[in-house]
Amino acid sequence: MADFLSQYSIQRWIEMCPQGYLENTVYGRGPDEHEPEAILDDTEQRDAAISSTVQLVVGERCALAASSGLINAAPDYPSKRFLATQTLDEARHVEVFTQRLFDLGVKKDDLEDTVQEHANPNLVKFAEVLLEKVGNGDFLAGVVGQNIVLEGMAFTVFELLETANKELNPKFAHTLSGTIADERRHVGFGENRIGSLVREHPEKKPEIEQMQQEMTYYMLATFADAFSGPQVQPAEPPTGEADFHGTNLATATPEEMEAVLSNTVLGEFKTRLDRIGLEYQSPPVPA
Amino acid sequence: MTTSDASTSEVAPDKPRRQYDLDETGFNEVPKKWRKFYRHWGGPGDKLGRNEVVCPVCKIVIRSARELRPGDKVYCMPCMSRMIVVEGPDDHFIAEVIF
Repeated sequence: MADFLSQYSIQRWIEMCPQGYLENTVYGRGPDEHEPEAILDDTEQRDAAISSTVQLVVGERCALAASSGLINAAPDYPSKRFLATQTLDEARHVEVFTQRLFDLGVKKDDLEDTVQEHANPNLVKFAEVLLEKVGNGDFLAGVVGQNIVLEGMAFTVFELLETANKELNPKFAHTLSGTIADERRHVGFGENRIGSLVREHPEKKPEIEQMQQEMTYYMLATFADAFSGPQVQPAEPPTGEADFHGTNLATATPEEMEAVLSNTVLGEFKTRLDRIGLEYQSPPVPA
Repeated sequence: MTTSDASTSEVAPDKPRRQYDLDETGFNEVPKKWRKFYRHWGGPGDKLGRNEVVCPVCKIVIRSARELRPGDKVYCMPCMSRMIVVEGPDDHFIAEVIF
């Protein structure tokens, strides 16, 4: 365990992240990249982009609060050190997605009102379930909620968004690719650190599984909200394929998009939880 | 793991292993000297070589400069997980995480 934790050095993080894939980026994208005019000039598309970006800001604000809160709860200094790097990663994610809101025309003075207006209530509840554990100083539940459930969800959502935007919006796709690279470390820490702790504290399993069940409920409800109602289509559909786990995102219906996203995230939850010795719990009622 | 490979082996050699020349594929999520040992995964349709295995934690393809064998240990630097290689279906390897 000590050997595993020794990998999480600040120096390694500097070499991989600021001196690696983030080198020469500005807010996570190329210095000369901009939002496409097709989005900026079309009110419907711009509003849809603002609304979806607000969900990313809400999720990342939760991740920032959780990872910073878990530093004091961590039982050892290597974990504290890793969570310090994750805290900076999450703060950067909040910043780059907030910057996207500004790039889309949201005025700085209107930021909080915009977030409040568009934030999905189910996503807010998802965050509250996690932050309650963090607030109680529960390291084990907090890391499962943050680095397995939240990050597992974010990992898949970002991959879907990156795939969907590669052709239509390279600037946003580049921002997402840097956040995905960060998420790899976060899910890796979650599984590697918690795998051994769950075995040491089997009495914690029921409580953690209940938290996962609640978070999953609100996550699926968020997905259902996101893909219900009229969907805004890009003015120019992508010409190439945007394959995501066997679904072509360029031609998929909202129902197909929701299905592939939900199924992929739930499949990942089950696999990841099983690896660390927890059993996936289905939500109590269909969301 | 050394700078010349991303895998280690405790398996007794039975026949010589095929060697692979690794080139960088644009993967930039690890320091430069390690980049050739990893590539982005193209999804379930991505045909893996006998020197490659997908990290089940972060979905990156780990590449070795030599043919892999069941029992080999591999390291995924992007998510910092260690795993052991096992034979999977369809003539490709899968990796199981070591906690």
